[in-house]
Amino acid sequence: MHELGLATEIHRRARVHVEANAPARLARVVVAVGELSAVEPDLLRFAWQAVTEGSADDGAVLEIDWCVARQQCMSCGETPARATGAWLPLCPRCGEPLRVEGGTELDLVRVILTIDEHVEMSP
Amino acid sequence: MTELDVRERVLAANESAARTLRERFRAAGTLVVNLISSPGSGKTTLLEATIALLSARLKLGAIDGDIATERDADRLRRLGIPAHQVLTGGACHLDARQVQGAMDRGALDDAEILFIENVGNLICPTSYDLGEDFKIVLLSTAEGDDKPFKYPAIFARAAVCVITKTDLLPYVSFDLGAVARQVATLNPAALLLRVSARTGVGMDEWCALLEDALARKRAEG
Repeated sequence: MHELGLATEIHRRARVHVEANAPARLARVVVAVGELSAVEPDLLRFAWQAVTEGSADDGAVLEIDWCVARQQCMSCGETPARATGAWLPLCPRCGEPLRVEGGTELDLVRVILTIDEHVEMSP
Repeated sequence: MTELDVRERVLAANESAARTLRERFRAAGTLVVNLISSPGSGKTTLLEATIALLSARLKLGAIDGDIATERDADRLRRLGIPAHQVLTGGACHLDARQVQGAMDRGALDDAEILFIENVGNLICPTSYDLGEDFKIVLLSTAEGDDKPFKYPAIFARAAVCVITKTDLLPYVSFDLGAVARQVATLNPAALLLRVSARTGVGMDEWCALLEDALARKRAEG
């Protein structure tokens, strides 16, 4: 998918929280990424690096919480694990369509800030 | 260290803009379809043929997304419908804010059916809600019959799959049955249409689908 646009949006959203807690520095963001969200974690990390490099948030870490989809066969009751990257919702045992839930997450979950208590506020 | 639990959708800004658009289209009674396909599969040509058949009895409008050039919107304007070209300047999809920008220019307010012709791409446009009633994926016979399983996300999410350029079937290796099976696997509720905008075969069924969807939307208010 469009990882650079997503990284930009994650950064923009994180900045809102940094500024609301000023003076603070962005240490880490945690995003939930579902396996069916069509987001490639490595590309997202690379894009995050590109977006934050040279900015006030240079060095802030992007942590990806990978969320797998849950699936169940409505025909035989089997709950097979989803093969990595597999999209085809068919039961490996009986070939019937599986019911798939979750795996589409794309959420900014946590923003971790370093708040410098010693900064002198100007009068 | 301060940890803030925020739980926001990364695409919340797009989702919020899409909700606003959906409400606007509902209030106006406009049916909105988001056409997604690879470049060259015949989105604009299908729209040209559709305009020829429907514009006498329905007000149509279009938003065209492309990296560069006004060519697509020009082709549709030549047939007498309002069309706005969004130039993405490199971005590989349209987002809801660009559609809002196009709508705010006012020329598309009267449309009864609004066609959003997305940037030619089977991947990125899938993830961006534009406030449409449903997505339509086009697959031309010249592209090969293995595309649904190779690009499953869009085929799983599109309510309608249109096989285009069926007049080329005698000259290309394209197994319609194989495509139908892949589409049914990914999305059992999807409708599959076959059209040739050039010969007109299948165009009546395609136009009927649009008119039925418009009638249903109006009935729901």
